[in-house]
Amino acid sequence: MELLQIENLTFRYPGAEADALRGITLTVRQGEFLVLCGESGCGKTTLLRLLKRELAPAGKRGGEIRYRGRSLEALDARTSAAQIGFVLQNPDEQIVTDKVWHELAFGLENLGLPTGVIRRRVGEMASYFGIQDWFRRETDALSGGQKQLLNLASVLVMQPKLLLLDEPTAQLDPIAASEFLQTLYKLNRELGLTILLVEHRLEEAFPLADRAVLLEAGRVLDCDAPRRLGRALQTREHTHPMCCALPSAMRIAHALGAVEQSPLTVREGRDFLEARFAASAQAQPQTQPEIPPEPDDAAPAIELKNVWFRYEKELPDVLRGVTMAVRRGEFYCILGANGTGKTTALQVVAGLRRPYRGAVRIDGKPLKAYGGGALYRGKLALLPQNPQTLFLQDTVRADLDELLALRGVEKEAREAQVKAVAARVGVEPLLDRHPFDLSGGELQKCALAKLLLSAPEILLLDEPTKGLDAFAKQKLTALLRGLCDDGVTLLAVTHDVEFAAENADRCGLFFDGELLSDDRPQAFFAQNHFYTTAANRMARGLWPDAVTCAQVVARCREAKP
Amino acid sequence: MNAFAAYHPTVLLTYFLSVLVVSMFALHPVLQAAALLGGLVFCALLQSRRRTAADLAFYLPLFLLIAVTNPLFSHNGVTPLFFLNGNPVTLEALLYGVQIALMLVGVLFWCKCYSKVMTTDKFLYLFGRVIPKLALVLSMALRFLPLFLRRAREVRRAQKTLGLLAAKSRVDRIRGEMRVFLAVISWSLEHAMALSSAMKARGYGLKGRTQFSLFRFTPGDGVLLGVSLALFGLTLAGMATGATRFAYYPRLTAPPASPLGLLALCAFAVLCALPAILEGKEWLTWSFCKSKI
Repeated sequence: MELLQIENLTFRYPGAEADALRGITLTVRQGEFLVLCGESGCGKTTLLRLLKRELAPAGKRGGEIRYRGRSLEALDARTSAAQIGFVLQNPDEQIVTDKVWHELAFGLENLGLPTGVIRRRVGEMASYFGIQDWFRRETDALSGGQKQLLNLASVLVMQPKLLLLDEPTAQLDPIAASEFLQTLYKLNRELGLTILLVEHRLEEAFPLADRAVLLEAGRVLDCDAPRRLGRALQTREHTHPMCCALPSAMRIAHALGAVEQSPLTVREGRDFLEARFAASAQAQPQTQPEIPPEPDDAAPAIELKNVWFRYEKELPDVLRGVTMAVRRGEFYCILGANGTGKTTALQVVAGLRRPYRGAVRIDGKPLKAYGGGALYRGKLALLPQNPQTLFLQDTVRADLDELLALRGVEKEAREAQVKAVAARVGVEPLLDRHPFDLSGGELQKCALAKLLLSAPEILLLDEPTKGLDAFAKQKLTALLRGLCDDGVTLLAVTHDVEFAAENADRCGLFFDGELLSDDRPQAFFAQNHFYTTAANRMARGLWPDAVTCAQVVARCREAKP
Repeated sequence: MNAFAAYHPTVLLTYFLSVLVVSMFALHPVLQAAALLGGLVFCALLQSRRRTAADLAFYLPLFLLIAVTNPLFSHNGVTPLFFLNGNPVTLEALLYGVQIALMLVGVLFWCKCYSKVMTTDKFLYLFGRVIPKLALVLSMALRFLPLFLRRAREVRRAQKTLGLLAAKSRVDRIRGEMRVFLAVISWSLEHAMALSSAMKARGYGLKGRTQFSLFRFTPGDGVLLGVSLALFGLTLAGMATGATRFAYYPRLTAPPASPLGLLALCAFAVLCALPAILEGKEWLTWSFCKSKI
């Protein structure tokens, strides 16, 4: 049965010159799991919001949306609110009340249900999601993953028939994101819930979906089973920007010309590699990767020696004797799970928190030697997890200009400097926009521009790839690489294993307030069994040290089946 | 944690109000002593022993201070004990001081218990029955406040690494803090917009909104409510008929002991002891259960 029919839907934002959506026709059957993907700005969020009447953006709409055979406008308010559920990207922006139980009940209160019914439904939902342990907690005390799960549960408690999700995992760490997507899968399989998911983590979303819809410039480019969609994308045009967002297994198979196979998961990818290369890989001579000579460390750019830190006297230690050194011009990535002290370590390096024991040296000098903000003038800069916090003004340009004015730069020189840095980062067209109106990738770039104004020698990055889609990530990566080539030392804290494997010079694993091991990424990930890239998990039986997709492909080409 | 705190907020509020009304207006020393004793025991049950000891160390001197102050300034009464600077210090004034001290310290202890038992959610629930909209607004405010503070801290930290708050001069620093504050305010507006559309998406604004709460009025709540109202009524009856009247000036006078007066005194003593009695019952049940296991 068709749950949702979209016919020739067009949409134009007020004041825009072009249509955001151009003639979208799509049918969603009951019980389907659909993934909507496409480049940023292709109209996927606009489409999703148009399907939820209460969230539909203002503008000129053409065409028809029918929910269970009836026009969306003709639905009564109660049905529309209850039967079509929507989960937004930012977990904090949809939590209304202060208590978990109240949040779960909020929607049902709005529907005007009696207390007894609410009690039962809330209880049922809390048990299904395993919320009972934090049922009476404050919503503010929850982790990001818990918050998003609560948002999902408090939409589902209204018993929707159709669930719309707009990049629900973008702000979550990979483990919480993966759990969230698995929950969606379970809801779809066990309850037959129809799901429309906008997502850029295709690595995990593709294997779960029945169909994937690829949007491009407001049109449906393709709509098919994920496997077939990936295949079509590869055969039709090899350079489609979406290709880099496909699951690793698919990318490797396609790069090797095995378009017909299109493996989706790690398991399928491994079977594919072993079937083709098992024999030849063994015959392959064990190439010892050439290890670049260790540069002698006169004075590392960043040095931590036995650093201990805790937030308050009564609280447990967050850092327990961290010792690490980052060489000049190096790109160093700290990996590790949530709550292991990674971000705290970064803040200690940035001089924002003072350890109670141990020494922190920047360029061989102790932190204390940089008094009165000298550290932040041309020496060190920190890109925080939420780059929005760097901006105080109404436009990006005004913000950049103001920073220079604070530093006492003359007016003419200021304009030239802003122009130069904008050109370097590629944000000229964004300069007159409001920082709140930028997408994740754009904001990240503007933030980098602001930090680069002070020409730092050391750049600290806190989760630089959080919330970015594959294209934005590629652009950011290129930028960071460029900085590294210019001699800037980069220290990043990240969850993103793929990002670290592809870009870092060295990686370290943070656990329980300590830096456990640090090594070149190839050696580092070759030792890990679980905490490693998808490409490595596929290929580790054949080539344990092949970590990135490119490395696996290179090995395959050498081996020749 | 506490057997008494688990009762329905309506019952709790009724209980606290009745105890407070009597202890604030009654003059009879037995009523006052019962209130203070009950409040003290209840408070001790709610908190750790160390905390109680600290409270005693604070309230005992306060008690003595109040008790001694009255006879120094008030010279009414017919039984002088001794003369100070030519003024008589009378027995009646001293006893009246003790009674004021009893009342003040007793009320303080009961207020302490009230704030421990009537947590925000209970208060909000009772409040929401009267003004539903305001209750939701309060709940949203409680949700928003920590978010706002966290955001402010984040912005402050980010700006510090840009050198905004590092200036030595106080004027610059204040200007910097002001700018951070304004930035967080404009973020709040943005947040409010997003939140309001998220609320609409979940049906906020539909007609006939109900108010849900986790509190349920059980038969046990009914019993406690009935018992406390009955005890309160008896006490009031005693006070209204003058059976528990008590005067300090010019000399201590009380009406002759009457059955109603005695009943009223006993009723109030039981009322004040209710939390302790319930707690004791709980404790006995548990020890009994444990011995069976």
